[in-house]
Amino acid sequence: MHTASWHSVGMTLDECIKCNVCTTYCPVAAVTDKFPGPKYVGPQAQRFRECGQIKSPDISVDYCSACRVCNEVCPSGVKIAEINARAKAQIVADRGIPIRNWFFGRNEQLGRIGSIAPQIANLGFHNPFSRLMAEKIMGVARHAPIPHWSTEGSFRKWFFRTPRLKSDKKVVYFHGCSTNYYEPQVGKAAVAVLEHLGYEVIVPPQNCCGLPMLNNGEFRAGEKLYRDNLAKLLPYADKGLPIVGTSVSCVLVLREEASEMLDIENDQTRRFRSALWDMSEWLRDLLDQGKLDTNFRELKMIVPYHVSCQARAHRMGRPSLDVMTLIPGLDVREGNAKCCGLAGTYGYKAEKYDIAMEIGEEAFRFIRAQGDDVKFTTSDSEICRWQLEHGTHKDCRAPIEIFAAAYGLYDLDRRRLLVER
Amino acid sequence: MLDLIVIGAGLTGLIAAHTAARAGKQVKIVTKGLGATHWHAGSIDVLGYYPNSATPVQRPLETVRDLTRARPQHPYAILDGTLSDALKNFVALAQELGLPYAGAANDGDNLWLPSPVGAARPTFLAPRAQLAGDLRRPEPMLIVGLRGMRDFYPELIAENLNKQGHRARAAFLPLDLITERHDSNTVHLASALDDPARRMKLAAELKKIFQPGERIGLPAILGLDAHAVALDDLQAQVGAPIFEIPTLPPSVPGVRLTNALRHRLRQLGVRVEINADVIGFHAEKDRVLWIESDASGRPLKHRAEKFLLATGGILGGGINSDHTGKVWEVVFNLPLTTPHDRGEWFRARFFDPAGHPIFRAGVPVNREFQPVDANGGRVYENIWAAGNILAHTDPILERSLEGIAIATGMATARSACNLKP
Repeated sequence: MHTASWHSVGMTLDECIKCNVCTTYCPVAAVTDKFPGPKYVGPQAQRFRECGQIKSPDISVDYCSACRVCNEVCPSGVKIAEINARAKAQIVADRGIPIRNWFFGRNEQLGRIGSIAPQIANLGFHNPFSRLMAEKIMGVARHAPIPHWSTEGSFRKWFFRTPRLKSDKKVVYFHGCSTNYYEPQVGKAAVAVLEHLGYEVIVPPQNCCGLPMLNNGEFRAGEKLYRDNLAKLLPYADKGLPIVGTSVSCVLVLREEASEMLDIENDQTRRFRSALWDMSEWLRDLLDQGKLDTNFRELKMIVPYHVSCQARAHRMGRPSLDVMTLIPGLDVREGNAKCCGLAGTYGYKAEKYDIAMEIGEEAFRFIRAQGDDVKFTTSDSEICRWQLEHGTHKDCRAPIEIFAAAYGLYDLDRRRLLVER
Repeated sequence: MLDLIVIGAGLTGLIAAHTAARAGKQVKIVTKGLGATHWHAGSIDVLGYYPNSATPVQRPLETVRDLTRARPQHPYAILDGTLSDALKNFVALAQELGLPYAGAANDGDNLWLPSPVGAARPTFLAPRAQLAGDLRRPEPMLIVGLRGMRDFYPELIAENLNKQGHRARAAFLPLDLITERHDSNTVHLASALDDPARRMKLAAELKKIFQPGERIGLPAILGLDAHAVALDDLQAQVGAPIFEIPTLPPSVPGVRLTNALRHRLRQLGVRVEINADVIGFHAEKDRVLWIESDASGRPLKHRAEKFLLATGGILGGGINSDHTGKVWEVVFNLPLTTPHDRGEWFRARFFDPAGHPIFRAGVPVNREFQPVDANGGRVYENIWAAGNILAHTDPILERSLEGIAIATGMATARSACNLKP
């Protein structure tokens, strides 16, 4: 199935027939001249980057948001997003990395430091003066929806503090940095659902998936993170346990993006990949096998569903939608917006914030069009959820929180478990 | 269980899915990328040149009758007289979708429309916006380009038209009438002209340069979502007949048609799974149970009762080849009519009016459009094939691409779903 290598990503550029479908659908090129479009910075510029003849002929590729819409619509199978990611890495190798992007790559460390005293950290960073300074000095967009550190403690702390279900059926949970430090509620909902289904949840040591580094062209540091996760999690995969994640973008990196971009496809990465699941995808698989408890409570509401670009990039269909449609009373409405704009760390950058908001407008408009009664929206990616909340002032929940609520385990309003073990 | 999965989202696939869904069938489209409709002039060719002849066809429906007698394996012959009804159905559908078509259907003759280099191309039906460009009409033409817009050169078009005996002159207007951006593609420009204020500016300038009695040819960017209004509005303000000349890709008339058909399919509950590259299938005896598409973790299975192959020919990606001379159908590895000896693939002259034998290669089918082997035996009981993948025709050379796409798309969907014509 997968034969990723430098060779194959590079070779796919020869499949480009210059049809411009990518440029037509690129959400960035649609709103700014700073990015000429995937065809130009991808398969076309790549011809000048080969063989190291010229160093980074054009840095407009830096304006690629890595949303992968180009890959999605390409009728010829060109791996445009990967070509762009490698070009960015080459620019970083040639010219060094801006200090801001270096920080963005280290969100796990930032999460850990802030969580020592989250109230103080939130107060210290999330005030207008600090944000203004962060913009002026570092180029971090002052209005961008940077998450708050959770004041209820990290997910891992909660998990290991409370008694857990023991069972013969076991599943490994990959929570990711954002669930651990910013949205522990998502992890709690996931554990509640898994235990409700009779699974013992294992939360092994794990680290950042490496996405922020890979997106910012820090390939070597990103590779180390990927290999660390591989070492920590592969033993579970080799025992035949599924490794399930609620962060759709982390799972994408672990499963495919990292090994493909970094060209480290081997037997280990293949074993790792085949054990990894997106949470909704795994629940849908249970459903297909007739093993999912579909005894859902009625949730009478309209929920606009934004399909995040990372969820699309999995090419796994719409598993969250497939499961949500089983919930009685729930009127899930799938939007067609291509991207929320934030795309990893893109919209946090001062020079790209306006572009990100303009891209997001399509998603915001869709949500507004569903009426004022809409209380919650949903999306698989935390990044999208923050951006949608920022753009629409409506609360956005993870699909797993909606599933937990439909099992009667979770309060969607207050974002907490109804029953703690 | 779905009734039908259509593989491919070009004109053939969209029309086939619509035919089945409209009759109440549960349908899904699975496609690698977005289809060839983005390269498409928007007009519907039925027969422009008889095979092996350089003389253009004047009355295509009559000539098709000769063709079907002379070549009983040609898709038009297999259609068995349903072509003209299919075209009528398409005209009615396009009308419903707000993209009215007209043309030869009225008098039975082909239209002659200017191409983006000013060549004359025969076609049977054209979107309303292209009709005033018919080269059989006597009025002189004013071809207007926008300085700074890529790939549209009014002088070249006018000069070539003059050489062919048509009166035409060229003029340029500044691009900033339409957009403040410096680097826009045709779809972005069309979208900008959805805005009445920008149309008013364009109309004012057109009024200054056109002479009474002229008709005005513009690149095909007159509105995207509000195209019908944009065209009427502009003609009324300028007071002259206006026509669109399709551009190089992305071709807005094709994008409009795709968008309209996809919008209708959504209303009919048809999901279009994009970026689903079919990499395998499972058959028992001669029945296909499911197809599998490539995904980040594990192949995604798509089950249905019937499968309709609309993946296109060599250009569309339904047929692939490698440097060893191997040629194969990419989804089911169906038998093809490729010449065995690679030396017979091409004729010596690039523009040989007889075309190149390799482009006539395709999937041979029976009278029900079900793929057959060399002995005429049906390969699978629940597979149908339609469009440019079919053998015994070279639709680009014959200028029969859309006629075959529409008529075989409708006929196969009917045959697969046991629908009455």
